[in-house]
Amino acid sequence: MASPYLIYSIIFFLFPLCWAIYLAFTNWNLIAPDYEMVGLQNFIEAFFSKSVRAAFWVTYKFMLMFVPIVIAGSLCLALIIHSLPKLKGLFSVGYFLPYLASGVASAIVVNGVLSYNSPLNTFFRHSFGLDIDWLGSPILAPLIIALMMAWKFMGYYALLFLSGLESIPKEIYEAAEIDGAVGWKRFWHVTVPMLYPSFYTVTILAVGLMFGIFTEPYVLTGGGPDYSTHTWQLEIYNQAFEKLNAGYGTAIAIINSVVTFASILVFRKVLEKWGARHGWE
Amino acid sequence: MAGSKKLKTALLYVLAFVVLIIMVFPYLYMILSSLAPWEQVDRKIIPTKLTLRSYEWLFTGGDGVVPRPWLRAFFNSIFVTLSSTVLMLVTAILVGYSLAKLKFKGSRFLNNVILFQMFYPAVILLIPLFLIVRYSGMYDTYWAMILPKAVSLWAIFMYTNFFRSIPDELIEAAKMDGAGQLTIIARIVLPMSKSITTIIFLFLFMERWVELLWDMLVVNNEKMLTLNVLLAQMFGPYGAYPGPMYAASVLLTFPILILFIIFSKNFKEGMQFVLK
Repeated sequence: MASPYLIYSIIFFLFPLCWAIYLAFTNWNLIAPDYEMVGLQNFIEAFFSKSVRAAFWVTYKFMLMFVPIVIAGSLCLALIIHSLPKLKGLFSVGYFLPYLASGVASAIVVNGVLSYNSPLNTFFRHSFGLDIDWLGSPILAPLIIALMMAWKFMGYYALLFLSGLESIPKEIYEAAEIDGAVGWKRFWHVTVPMLYPSFYTVTILAVGLMFGIFTEPYVLTGGGPDYSTHTWQLEIYNQAFEKLNAGYGTAIAIINSVVTFASILVFRKVLEKWGARHGWE
Repeated sequence: MAGSKKLKTALLYVLAFVVLIIMVFPYLYMILSSLAPWEQVDRKIIPTKLTLRSYEWLFTGGDGVVPRPWLRAFFNSIFVTLSSTVLMLVTAILVGYSLAKLKFKGSRFLNNVILFQMFYPAVILLIPLFLIVRYSGMYDTYWAMILPKAVSLWAIFMYTNFFRSIPDELIEAAKMDGAGQLTIIARIVLPMSKSITTIIFLFLFMERWVELLWDMLVVNNEKMLTLNVLLAQMFGPYGAYPGPMYAASVLLTFPILILFIIFSKNFKEGMQFVLK
């Protein structure tokens, strides 16, 4: 029953995989009838390319903004849902709704909210005399995209924290109360450490997500200003389909995969070490 | 004491509700702006009066602006998303069942293939897959958007895990009665996996519905574009007409919101399984 699947995998997985490895060593430009093998030239060129380097650093910059925001936000949502005696399902669904948004539609809303005469900008102009060029600033533009992503994924990650919260046994809270841990103290010394598995999963998911950003910067900023929102996916798209460098684009895709894989591995190891020191396996 | 506890609970609900409003605010803003008179779009949060002008303009065009095939794009989106999602479900059920319940030569091999594919970054395949589409004549057809997106490894993984929890005795008993594998799937396995199927369907549908990059690459003919791609392409050219852009965003967003809310009855319970 699974043999059609294997045939499908050969056509849509194995074959393109081999082709990709071959393409990465050529200088083909999608149109020319002939091309040459160029050895490692694509990889060397990528290493010194300004836009590839930008994509590399921009991803970590996004991580630095997105991961703390989304973790804090989703944990708050989960704590709110968890503390409600009733209607937990209703609010879980409600907070999850942003996950359904297309990046294109949210880019349209963000673009409108930040347009010159919008209520937000009028408020800043009249109250503080400030004219803020939100999407033209290399600091604010990535922050706005990180916030859009955080809005989208918060309700999703909140469900992970919620199932973590629900799996903490009541006895632990009771024991903590006897030891005098209440309120904030209880939260920091009991709840947060007990949530380690949820923190682990959410962090890895959030980190992995940062390597695949495409829609929001493609629609909203086009990677600018000054490469400040230029992600890996945008770089691959630009090289392969705007500049038609199929070989070079594939080489960048391979580099992107290696970087993604290595980064996630490092994050996992660090989190696992940290967890092991606090009694989690 | 009892009174202060009640007050605390009430305040919690107020907080939960306020947060909910903040979370859905972009949706509210979208729908209000799509119904606002044009001089108020992006200038007032709550318009003083409502009008359908933006929707009318979207479908009929205006001075020197040719209307785009929005309705056609909407149906393209539905057709492509539905076909793709159903194929993903069918392959996931068949492959998941084979892996979980059938003992056949090469099942370990298949398992390894799927594991490898799951951890393999899809981005490397983007360019060669595009070339396959171009050379096979699938370019600019529905096939280009459906066939390369007919398998979801995540769904296979979910179903395999779920089917493992179905007792073997049930399947053995049905086999004794002479039922074939497909009958067993249809009569025994599927009715048991209703709630997980709903959740998996919703997730696959949502993710396929908002796909941009692939659908943008393999289709050029305006009549074949999905709604999401058409909206992204009009972002620049319709820049001077924010009202209709909001109307088109509503067209893109609200069908899926409504679909989700209808099917979300056991959402929280279903999610607990998916997240494990």
